[in-house]
Amino acid sequence: MSTTAAAFTGLVVLGLAGALPVVVGVGLRWVTLPLAPLAGAVLASLAATAYVALGLSFMTWFVALAVLGAVAAGAWWLWGPTLGLGRTDGKLGVSEGDLEETVRHPRDHRVALAGAVGALIVGVTCVASLRGIRTPTVGFDARALWVMRPGWFLQSHQQLLVDLKVRGLVLTQSAYPPLVSAASAIAWKVTGVHTARLGVVVTAALNGCALAVAAFAVADVGRRAAIGLSGRRAAIGLSGRRAAIGLSGRRAAHAASAPTPWTPLVAGVVVAALLVLVAAGVTEPFLTNGYADPIWSLAAVGAVAWGLQSPRERSAQSIAVVLVLVAGGAKDEGFVTAVAIIALIAVRSLAGVVADHGWRAPLSRLAAPVGLAGLELVIIGWWPELMQVIGARGASSTFTIQSDLTSRTTAVVHGMSPYLHVLVLAVPVAIAGGVVLSGVRRRTDTGNDLWAWAALACGLVAVAGALITGQGAIGPWILSTVHRITEFPTLAAWWIVGTWGVVAATALVEGNHRVESTSGEATPVGDAPAVAQAKVSA
Amino acid sequence: MLRVAPPDGSDRRGRLPGLAVTVVAAVVAAVVGVALVGQASRGSAVVDRQSATSTVRNASLDNAFYRCIDIQAHSLVRPGQRVTLSTSNLADVITLIKGTGSWVTVADPARSADVVLTLRNGQTGPGTCSGTVVVATSKTPDGRSVVRIGTGAEVPGQGPPPAPPL
Repeated sequence: MSTTAAAFTGLVVLGLAGALPVVVGVGLRWVTLPLAPLAGAVLASLAATAYVALGLSFMTWFVALAVLGAVAAGAWWLWGPTLGLGRTDGKLGVSEGDLEETVRHPRDHRVALAGAVGALIVGVTCVASLRGIRTPTVGFDARALWVMRPGWFLQSHQQLLVDLKVRGLVLTQSAYPPLVSAASAIAWKVTGVHTARLGVVVTAALNGCALAVAAFAVADVGRRAAIGLSGRRAAIGLSGRRAAIGLSGRRAAHAASAPTPWTPLVAGVVVAALLVLVAAGVTEPFLTNGYADPIWSLAAVGAVAWGLQSPRERSAQSIAVVLVLVAGGAKDEGFVTAVAIIALIAVRSLAGVVADHGWRAPLSRLAAPVGLAGLELVIIGWWPELMQVIGARGASSTFTIQSDLTSRTTAVVHGMSPYLHVLVLAVPVAIAGGVVLSGVRRRTDTGNDLWAWAALACGLVAVAGALITGQGAIGPWILSTVHRITEFPTLAAWWIVGTWGVVAATALVEGNHRVESTSGEATPVGDAPAVAQAKVSA
Repeated sequence: MLRVAPPDGSDRRGRLPGLAVTVVAAVVAAVVGVALVGQASRGSAVVDRQSATSTVRNASLDNAFYRCIDIQAHSLVRPGQRVTLSTSNLADVITLIKGTGSWVTVADPARSADVVLTLRNGQTGPGTCSGTVVVATSKTPDGRSVVRIGTGAEVPGQGPPPAPPL
C-alpha cells in the first residue's frame, strides 16, 4: 500500500471513530468534516494512555473507546437535555437546542452558498498549504520521538513500559503526551505500513484538519454578521432561549426582514483563507515534517476562536472541547496552554450564566461549565500523571528556581521578540476596534477579544516560564525551539487581527435602521416585542 | 425599553458618530487586508521553499540513510531477540534510536540483552550507510563474543546526512 493510500485509510479510520460524537455535539456542519479525525486522534490518545495504565492492547482500547463514544453520543442524542426524549417538559419534537440552531443557522441560500464555497476555498487552501509534504522530510524530533513511538504502542504492554522507562534509550522526551504518536499508530496498525513517512503524512493531515477548523471560526464570524445584518438572527441570544421557545420554529426561521448582505460573508471566507496561508508560513517546515508543535498550536488557536470568541452555544463549545483535548494531548506546552484555555472558557461560561440568570442562577447551570472543565482536565491530565506514576524517563519536573533568572528572562525576551512582530499590528488594531467597533462586534455575536488576549498571554507566559525556570542552557534551548514554541501566540495574534478585519468589513455595510434592545443588541423590527429581553451574549 | 438606532449609523448608543465608525472600520479593514495579503504571500513563499532542490535532496538522503540503518539492523536481530543500544557514543545511540527504536525489543536490564547494537563510522567501500555500518555483538552459548556487520542496504558517500531542522 502506498503512503498516500495508507495515510488516507488512517485518516478515515480516525474520522469514523470520532464522527458520531462530533455530529451529535456540533451538528452536520462543514466544520464537522475536519473535526471528526481530530476527535478520532483524541480517542487514539486516550487509548494509548489506557493501554499504558491498564494493559490489554492499544487497538482494543481504541475500538472500545470509539464504541463507547458512539454509544454515549447516541444516548445523549436520544435522552439528553437538549433533544426531544430528554426534554424536561416531556414534549417531543423541536428542542430548544434545535430551535436555537434553526434561528442561528436559518436556511438562507446566500448563507448556504457562502458556506459551501467558503468550505471549499478553505479546504483547498489547507490542502495547498500542505504541499510541502511532497518533500519527504522527516524532522529530527519526529524521527527520534513522534513517529518512532507508534511502534511502542503496538508492542506488548510489558515492552511498552520498558520502552518508556529504561534509561538506556537516553531521550527524555518519551514522556511527552501521546496524541501524535497514537494517531500514527492507528494508521500503522490498520494498514500494515510501519514507516516514519506514514507517521509524518498522517500528522500533516491532522495539522491540516486543525488549521481548517480554526479558519472556519473566522468564516463563521462573517456568517453570523451577515445573518445579524439581515435580521435573520431573529431575536435571540443565548439568554433569550425562553423567548425563542415562545416563537414557532417556522416564524423564527422566516423572520427575515432584509436580504443577507454578501460583504460579511465574503470577508469571513477571504480572511479565513488568508489566515490559512499565514498559518502555513508560521508553522512550516514543522507543519509537514512530523513535529507536534503545529497541531497543538493550531488546535489551541481554534479552541480560543470557537470557545472564547464564538457565541456560548452547544455547537461552538463542542468544537472547543475537541480542540482543547487535541492541544492538551499533543505536547507539554500544549497541555499547559490547554489548561489555561479550559479555565478561561469555564470562567466565560460562568460569567455568561450569571449575566443571564443573575447570582441566583440554578445550580445545575453553574455546575455544568465547572464539571465540563473538570472532565477535560482529568482527560488531558491522565497521561502526565501516569508518566509520573510509572517513573517514565523524563517525567520528572524540570522546574527549578535559577539563580540567573534575570539573564534568562532577558535571553527569552530577546529570543522570542523576532517571532512576535505580529503584536505590533495586533495591539493597535485591537485597541482601535475595541474603542470604536465593539458595538458592531457584539452584534456579530463575537466574544470580547480580551478573552483571546488572555489566552495568548497565558500561552506566552507558560512557554516563557518553562524556558526561564528550566534547567537547560538557555542559549541553545532558545535557538533550537523558539520558532516552534512561539507558534501559538503568533497564530492567536493573527486570528485576533483577522477577526477584527471581518468585524470592520461588517461595520462598513451595517444597516442604518435597526431596533436595539436596552442592552444594545440589534434585532429585527418585526420580532422586537418577542425579544425585548434578549441580551448580548458573551 | 426599545429604541431605534439613529439613521446616521452612530454606534455605542450614539456616542460615536457614524462617520467615525465608518472611517475607523475602513482603516482597520484596509490595514488588516494589506497585512494579511502580505503575510499570506510570505507564508506561501515559505511553503514553496520546502520544495527547493536542496531540501528535497537532503530529505531523500536522510531517509535513505535511516532506511539503510533500519535494514542493516533487521539483518542482525531476529524477531523476539532483546536488544540494547551501546551507550558509548551519544550521537550513535540517537542515530540507532531514530533508525530502529520503533521496532526493537529493548532489554531491561541491559545486561539481559541477546544483542548489543552499535555503529561503526568512517567505513569505506560498499555495504555502508554513508560510511556507517551497524554492528551486532552477541554471545554464543559457550560464552564467546560474536561480532557481525549489518547487510542488505547501502548508501554511497561519507558522513551522516545533513541534519534536518530542529
